Amino acid sequence: MTALPAATRSGSGYWLASMVSMLRWQLTSLRLVFPVLLVVQVLIAAGFTVGIGLFFDEVPAPVALFLSTGASVITLITVGIVVAPQLIADEKASGTYDFTWSLPCPRSAAVAAWVVVNAVVAIPSMVAALAVGSWRYGLSFQVNWRVATAVALVLTCASLIGYALAHGIPNPNLTQILAQVFAFTIFGFTPINYPIDNLPGWLASLHRLLPFYHMGVVVRDGLTSGLVGEIAVSYLTLGAWTLIVGGITARALRQRR
Amino acid sequence: MTPTSVVRRGPIYWWESYVAMLRFDFARHRAMLVTALASQLFMGFGLVIMYGLYLGSVDSATGLYLTSGVPALSLIPVGFILIPLLIAQDKRAGTHEFTWSLPGPRSATAASTFTLFTAVSLPVALLSTVLAAWRFDVSLSVTWLVVPAGVLVALMGTSVGFGLAQAIPEPRIVNLITNIVVFLVMLFSPIAVPIERFPDWLATVHRVLPFYHMASLLRWTVSDGLVASPGTSTAVVIGWTVLAWIAAAWVLGRRR
Repeated sequence: MTALPAATRSGSGYWLASMVSMLRWQLTSLRLVFPVLLVVQVLIAAGFTVGIGLFFDEVPAPVALFLSTGASVITLITVGIVVAPQLIADEKASGTYDFTWSLPCPRSAAVAAWVVVNAVVAIPSMVAALAVGSWRYGLSFQVNWRVATAVALVLTCASLIGYALAHGIPNPNLTQILAQVFAFTIFGFTPINYPIDNLPGWLASLHRLLPFYHMGVVVRDGLTSGLVGEIAVSYLTLGAWTLIVGGITARALRQRR
Repeated sequence: MTPTSVVRRGPIYWWESYVAMLRFDFARHRAMLVTALASQLFMGFGLVIMYGLYLGSVDSATGLYLTSGVPALSLIPVGFILIPLLIAQDKRAGTHEFTWSLPGPRSATAASTFTLFTAVSLPVALLSTVLAAWRFDVSLSVTWLVVPAGVLVALMGTSVGFGLAQAIPEPRIVNLITNIVVFLVMLFSPIAVPIERFPDWLATVHRVLPFYHMASLLRWTVSDGLVASPGTSTAVVIGWTVLAWIAAAWVLGRRR
């Protein structure tokens, strides 16, 4: 038997190779869930765009634009914030979790791969949401280049929030419950699908500190003109949240047991 | 010592089994009841608050419509979500087999489930409605008929959920159905929205499904002028109850 070649387990080449294999690993392990996820995502998007419209006698044009762009933001973040913690809680319960972290890969490569997986599910759903909106309400969007930065930032932030939740909380049951709470809060009580002015004052102030409202702002800014005023604060807030949740995730993942 | 022989039939035996099962069910579901109440408050009060946020401003007519939909909204999760999930869980854990091996008549066991969850769901439906009326500053015109209507609607919900979960052997399919129900009720049902706004095909579907009729019947008892006559809705609600009982009887009557 020939001796195994000594592999260099450091450097950017190794990191990139690890990320690619983690990406393949994650995509393969999710292959059965993928179609379901995509269908559910598109249903959520279409559901909110069309279903909420029923509450109005006649949907005013700005509301329609808000709903459709809001639904696209929601599809961007549900996988990261709601589905991922549940998947990871399942992995913890079944032991796959420990196995994955025993693989000889930089953990940051695994996290980066996860953000890419999120993008693979979320971006098609986002496009579907916008398509449903333009079909149902005859909307036209005014896309500008900032949408790329916005989508990348929102996806990263949302994936890391989910990761921080899933990895930072040891008890999988608590993670599951929190994920459900997040789902309800995001769908119902977050000014993504409707203007922040609809909220009572205290909740609006709270949402100016939380990331969700700002996610809506930056993506909407990339898709429309005239709906969004100030974007610098939103980008800054989102950036800060990404750093915070990234830090929590890093801390949780670096720990040895 | 020879065991005393017991007569295991007749109305007295049925009644005793029913009371025993009721105690058994209450004791084992006690911890779940808090979840039940929370989910009801969310689906009832929480949902209409959410609708209000989406709408931006709520005028008094819309407020009345939303509030009068709350009783139905908050009764739905117990029957259509909680009971199927509990039964699916019982099936996985084996409790299901144990319960049916008890010497009580199966109809008494089923009746105990209906009684327990009907009784549990009504007070929270009331609380949700009061909260919503306060939030939207709506005055309802409640008639005494709300009591029999509430009992009937809650009974129908628990019966249909029970029948569904008993009749479908695969718990995952039951889970899927409950998820679809949540989604359908939240976004696509004429409970907080007049049915006229729905496309014709969906309105037709809803005239067959129970949700619209639950809402209409209850709305008729708590408001003036929104629902012309409750005849059809009452008939449909009773129809679903009977259908659920037949399904449950058919499944439970079989031996394995």
